[in-house]
This record gives sequence, structure tokens and C-alpha cells, in this order.
Amino acid sequence: MNLLAIETATPACGVGVRTSGGVELTRVVDENRRHTEVLTLAMAELLGECGLRPRDIGRVVVDRGPGLFTGLRVGIATASAFAQALGCGLVGVTSLELLAHGAHGAGVRGTLVAGVDGRRGEVFVQTFALAEALVATSRPAVAVARDVVIQWATNGDPVTFTGDGVERYAQDFGAVPNGHVFVQTVPPVHEALALGLRRAVETSITPLYLREADAVANFTTRERPR
Amino acid sequence: MVLGIETSCDETAAAVVDADFHVISSIVESSIDQHRAFGGVVPELAGRAHVTTIGPVVNRALVEAGLDPHDPEIDGIAVTSGPGLIGSLLVGLSAAKAYALAWGLPFVGVNHLEGHLFAPLLEQPGLEWPLLTLLVSGGHSMIVLQSGPGQHEVLGETIDDAAGEAYDKVARWLGLGYPGGPEIDLLAQQGTAGSLKLPVSMTGPDLDFSFSGLKTAVVRATQRHGDVALADVAASFQRAVCEQLLRKLRSAMEAHDVKGVALAGGVAANSALRAGVEQLARDFAVVAHLPTLEMCTDNAAMIAAAGLYRLGAGAASSLGLSADPNWQLSEV
Ligand SMILES: [Zn+2]
Repeated sequence: MNLLAIETATPACGVGVRTSGGVELTRVVDENRRHTEVLTLAMAELLGECGLRPRDIGRVVVDRGPGLFTGLRVGIATASAFAQALGCGLVGVTSLELLAHGAHGAGVRGTLVAGVDGRRGEVFVQTFALAEALVATSRPAVAVARDVVIQWATNGDPVTFTGDGVERYAQDFGAVPNGHVFVQTVPPVHEALALGLRRAVETSITPLYLREADAVANFTTRERPR
Repeated sequence: MVLGIETSCDETAAAVVDADFHVISSIVESSIDQHRAFGGVVPELAGRAHVTTIGPVVNRALVEAGLDPHDPEIDGIAVTSGPGLIGSLLVGLSAAKAYALAWGLPFVGVNHLEGHLFAPLLEQPGLEWPLLTLLVSGGHSMIVLQSGPGQHEVLGETIDDAAGEAYDKVARWLGLGYPGGPEIDLLAQQGTAGSLKLPVSMTGPDLDFSFSGLKTAVVRATQRHGDVALADVAASFQRAVCEQLLRKLRSAMEAHDVKGVALAGGVAANSALRAGVEQLARDFAVVAHLPTLEMCTDNAAMIAAAGLYRLGAGAASSLGLSADPNWQLSEV
């Protein structure tokens, strides 16, 4: 089966294709939030380079977040429409597990905290235990970056941090005495291809926002119009 | 046949229109219920709704048109690429590009306002040009001279609030629901226009509008005369808005020899405005094109129609097209 993977949870835009013959091409085509402009063009390019037509794709894998809201919507709208158009399978993976698998694949072991930039001083985080296998030990959540730093510094256990949320607060995370930073800003697309092959297909994918819409949050503290 | 997709505001819409501008299917879902409590469309909520709704809506439009949703026999895809809420536009645009790539079809980014201008053509395919169109919605108020499909000149537009926006703001001030247009229209029918003295604005010879002062005048007048019945306020405001719109439209009719006069946009559902345009058409002995309710509000059939014309003119877009939240009609 030929797979197509789409990753748009951070300012970068990643696309990957893996053919049934085992040929794999992945590419980060932009790092400046230009998802809308570059994504479909990159898909067309990559398919062409692999000698595939769109109809040859049997499954679409998409990063459903957490991450940039608009980026996620562009990626998921594209992936869902593409899969729906062809009547092929759709699989969702998370940006945090892609980061964890990326670190795991690079040989990182022990406790790993993956963090995606959530803006406004916050990060989307999840903790994993990396040994021979990779196991998630917490659920994806949103937290104040400083709180995460303090929590692990106080805890004292050895830990590795990774993700663009960690890079954004590199000084703070880098200062955790028992901590180590594995530099990795973009959730790796090749891990999405690998996971997509193993997972069961879903009927629909929705973004993993982990945060209420702005207006909802603001509105609760604002006076209701009379 | 063209598949149209529209996601510029709170409506998620898809439609199939054939080469003769017949609407084969048209599906519209709205997230308006989620926005009511806020008195306006909340962009993030609209974006979230679009991303879950777009797939099922497109699927329904194709199935209801009798097409194979995995291999539809259509000639292209048209999508609104501006103006509108950027986070909403991106969802429709992304989906449209993916469908185009998957099916190997051309696609074109359509200006939402040009879409509204194509609405009369869908309901009266044999209509005669030129046409003067009053396009009034929550986001826009303008008079457009259309010499033919896709050929338009903006003669005048609002210098501040859109007419629909003024309705929403006044409705909010009066404690009525959102959107304000239908609420005020309904209430106005039980009131007496002129009970509240409101200024006659924009009396110059140009064809531009202004509604911001009118809204302020309503606020001041109701503060001074707290005893005026709500229905009378609504009726007075409605008359003042329609009076300004129709006076300018009349000036445009006097200056341009046209075959018809059309209403477009959400405010085209307003009963007083429809009656006024009908009267205007009688006075000038031209055809009045009053859209049905489904054609007033945002829909994808009008986008498909504009796309049909644009694709026919060889104006397909690149897959690299970006959305333009401020795309002016005069730039089309
Ligand atoms: Zn509109």
C-alpha cells in the first residue's frame, strides 16, 4: 500500500510518501507558516517524484496536533478531503508522539517530555517512557512552560526534553540540572509514515486543540452584551 | 459542471452547478448557533466548525447531484479565496485544492463578492444585461454596475459600517438577538417609522453609504427618549437605512441605462428593502431581480457559478494560491 503523510502542527510544513515497494521520500517544504500555499503543491511534487498518481495512494496519515490551530486545520482539511476524494483510508497521529518516536529512533532512552509551542508562555506536553519500546506515560496536555521546567527541576529525575516548545524556552529547559535537550523542532514525517502503516483507519479526523477557542475563554470574563 | 465550495464566514457550503447555470445541488450548514451568544461571528469557532463540516457537506452536494463522490464527472472546482475570515477561508481553500489534486481537475479561487453578483443568473438564467446591483450584507454594502457576467464596476460603497453590521449593532443595543437583520425587520413591521427622529445622512451626489452615524443616532435618541417603544425604534432605524440605500440606488439608476436592478447579499432578505427595489424597478420600467432567501445568504452555488465563468475564461488558479481576506471586488 502507498502512503501519504501530512504534518502541519508547527510553523513547518512536512509531506511524505512511502510506496508499497518501500521507497520513502519526506520533505519539510517550508518553515514559515505558509501551509496553505505550499502543502498541495508539495504533495503533487512528491507523488510525481515517486512515480505515483493520486489514485495510487491507499492511505493518508495526518498529524492532528496539538500545535498551530490554523496549521492543523489546513493539514487536516487537506488530508481529509484527499482521502475522501479517493475513498481511501485516513489515520491520525499526534505531534507529540511523532516527536517521541523521533527521539526514540535517534537512541534517546529514559523519560522523555515532548513539548510543542503553544504560544503565550504555554507548551503542549506529553511524557513518554523510552526503553526498547515507547510508552506514553501521560496524556497530551497544555501547561505553562515555566511550570513544566520547575516541575522537572524539583522532581530531580533524569529527563530529556524535545520539541519546538522546548526550543522556544531553551534557556529555561536547558537550565534543568537533571535535564537534557534533544534538539528536534519539527515532528518527523517519516515517523508519521511508520505509525500510519500500523494504525487502524478512522472515519474522520479532528484537530487536537487542547485549548478552548479564544472567544470562549475571553467571553467568560467579559460582560455579556445587554 | 462545477463543484463550488464556500467557507468565508460561518456558512460551510458546497454546490454543483451545470454549464447552463442550473443549480443541481446546494448544501449549506451554518455554525451561527455557536456565535449567537457573542453577538457576532467568532473567527476561531467558525474555523473549528468548518474543518469538521466541510467533508460531509461536499459529500452530500456530490451525492445529491447524482455524482460518484470518489470520481465525480465534473469539469472543475471553484472555491472562495477571499474576502472573508482568514481562518475560515483556509479550510475551504485547502479542501478544494486537495479535491482538485486527487481528481486531477482544474480549480479556481473565486472572489466572494463576485459570487454574490452571479446569484441572479442562477435564478434567472436568461436575464438581460446591463444590471445595477445593490450588494448588502454583514460585511459589505455597495452599488455595482454589471455590464455582463464577470464584468463589474463598483460605483459606490460604504465608508464605514456595512448595512448588515449596522443592523447587528443596533439590535445588540436594543437587546435583540443576533443576527440583527431579521430581528429588527420583524419588529419594525409592528412599529411606526418616524416615531424616532433620525438624521438623513449621505445626501451628497456620490453613491457611497455611511451607517455608523445612524447607529450612534439611534443610541442617542433612545437614551434621550427612553419611552419610545422598541418596535418604533426598529421601524425608524429600518426606514432610515432603506431610505439611504434606495436613494443612492435611484441616483445610480438615473445615471446608468440598465435592463434590470438586482439585490444581493444577506440584507437582501429585508422586506422593506425588497419592496423598495420592486418600486424602483417599476419606476424605471426595468426587471427587478430579487433573490430567494437561499440566494441572499452565503451559499456555494453562487461560487460555483462565478467559477464556471472564470474557468470558462481560462482563469484556473495554481495549487499555490493563498487566501486573501481583504480581496476587493475592484481587484477582480
Ligand atoms: Zn456574503
